[in-house]
Amino acid sequence: MSPGPAAALLAAAGAAALLTERLAVVAAIALVLLALCLRAPAERRRVYLFGALSTGLGVLVLSPFLWSSPDGTVLWEGPALPVLGPLDVTTTELYGAALNALRLTALALAFSAYALLLDHDRLVSAAGWARRSALAVALATRLVPSLERDAAGLAEAVRGRGVQLQGARGYATLLSPLVAGSLERASSLAEAMEARGFGRTGSTRAPRPGWSRSDRLALPLAAALVLGVGLWL
Amino acid sequence: MALARLEAVTYAYPGAPDALVDASLELQPGEVVALLGPSGSGKSTLLRALSGLVPHFHGGRFAGRVVVSGLDTRTARPADLAGTVATVFQDPEDQVVMTIVANEVAFGLENLGTPPAEIWPRVERALDAVAARHLWGRKTVELSGGELQRVCLASALALEPQLLLLDEPTSQLDPEAAALFLDAVERLGATVILSEQRVGRALELATRVVFVEDGRILLDAPRQEALDWLASERPAYTNACVGTTQASFVPRNGAGGEGACVGTTQAPLVRLRGVSYAYRSALPVLDGVDVEVRRGEVVVLEGPNGSGKTTLARIAAGLLEPQAGTIERQGRVTYLSQDPGRYLVRETALSEVALGVGGDESRARGALERVGLGWAAAQNPRDLSSGERERLGLAAVSASEPDLLILDEPTRGIDPPRKAELAAWLGRYAAAGHGVLVATHDAGFPAHRRVSLAREELQVAV
Repeated sequence: MSPGPAAALLAAAGAAALLTERLAVVAAIALVLLALCLRAPAERRRVYLFGALSTGLGVLVLSPFLWSSPDGTVLWEGPALPVLGPLDVTTTELYGAALNALRLTALALAFSAYALLLDHDRLVSAAGWARRSALAVALATRLVPSLERDAAGLAEAVRGRGVQLQGARGYATLLSPLVAGSLERASSLAEAMEARGFGRTGSTRAPRPGWSRSDRLALPLAAALVLGVGLWL
Repeated sequence: MALARLEAVTYAYPGAPDALVDASLELQPGEVVALLGPSGSGKSTLLRALSGLVPHFHGGRFAGRVVVSGLDTRTARPADLAGTVATVFQDPEDQVVMTIVANEVAFGLENLGTPPAEIWPRVERALDAVAARHLWGRKTVELSGGELQRVCLASALALEPQLLLLDEPTSQLDPEAAALFLDAVERLGATVILSEQRVGRALELATRVVFVEDGRILLDAPRQEALDWLASERPAYTNACVGTTQASFVPRNGAGGEGACVGTTQAPLVRLRGVSYAYRSALPVLDGVDVEVRRGEVVVLEGPNGSGKTTLARIAAGLLEPQAGTIERQGRVTYLSQDPGRYLVRETALSEVALGVGGDESRARGALERVGLGWAAAQNPRDLSSGERERLGLAAVSASEPDLLILDEPTRGIDPPRKAELAAWLGRYAAAGHGVLVATHDAGFPAHRRVSLAREELQVAV
């Protein structure tokens, strides 16, 4: 499938996950997206899946304590804390937490599938009048693996000098150089792009294969998914 | 009529001293000019002035005039000059825009408004010219540094420029790939300015040589005249040691001299036996490799791009566990990664080096002095040139005087005099009872022993 229609389907899946109130539907969407992400090479998908699943898990664990609902059965009662009030967990809170966690996970998985599986070059090429924006999104998407590589390189460079990074505090010291390196890379890339004529008027596109039948079907399918889930589920 | 002309150009980056001082130069069509000079001397800035990136992209103070193919860079932006001028920058990883090789080569052509029907044939020709057609559909993130450099050159060649600016384009290539790369440049027929620290091949190729130091053009002469000048004024640039001829220290059992052995009978500092490693199961990078390094010796690990030199060096340093084989290590080991300039973690050069010696600034200062960066102690490492960053990395890993020093491509971006100094210092370091393992493409780097890792082609980036 061409990347344009595939991106539309992924966006529709993300929107559907946000629209529905049914846990089972969100779970099904998240599972389908997870299965899609698992098609990417293991070493590339690792960081994306970790990000998506840990974010969801964080919401699941924290939100029953941060959001209070008088409905449902109380499963656990804890002390009352300043600002937060009484700590308890009810079935309603747990359901809400699971729903929001799955929504967030589904959104993150949709982005992961976009980043891992789609041909961003063709998306940029297909973007027509919005080529600059599409290119900016494609380059931003590449930031995740670049940062992962740079973080590993920084940690290795420090270990290579015989210095051991210990605990979260040790790794936190790498945050500032990581950001500095990333900005430096972005500046170099912008320079290289300008030197290659980016931004000049009258640009053209290399010929690409046209849309297949499944590509043409994907757009109405994406719209139907959003409408169907939004209206009936 | 000159294709390009610099007239009394003086330029300073924002908040920095002059990087170019009163530089004047004329380039004729079809000339191949070798641009030489120490790292941080202003070579890259000169190239940027010719592409219009200085001052348009970088800002700063600019005086004088640069005219390329009739366009004055004070009014013409770099994007306007693209196509007439093409640049291959130092670091290939920082100039790749697209995710697939063919699209990357087509990117510039699309920007210039090339008729769509011409784009793919020109991409094919450009990839053929650098023997990289087989990379057509590959993802750019999966390529090795050497492969990426060829793709970057193809991207420049595809534009069929009148003026091609090459900023250390072979720094990540093995000698064979570098020769192939420069052959492609020679066949191009365009005016080429080639800034290189591996000067041997560049001098063979050049019709003219420009030597820059402290931002000033010290020499602008035809090749033969320039060779005579270099031989008398800057002999390191014509010394065989920095070319492609293999050089050796005095043998380990030799009688004294640099690199004389102080412990040949001692246990090795590191011994690898039957070491294997694969990034993907079907493609072993290392397969049953044996290497050892003893006190008193400099061992060079050589081999083409993708032969596993970096992997082996990382395993020897304990940064990577092999999937098979045994390793014995003795004493303290430090490791200088490829491209250390990218992996800087502190705000000043002094604290960067002091990190490896528990914050001991006096030892750090000594290490900085040794690599010729004493003046940069208070500078932010990211304000240094790429060659200076490489030397900073060297100071950072050697400040603690480890028993075994492992260096991965330590001569990348380093000028010939500094390279010779480094080789001499490593010889002395080994003679003082340490061991040194150097993974390098630099065939001229002196060693007591050379270990070759042979491999024709590798499909994964290391």
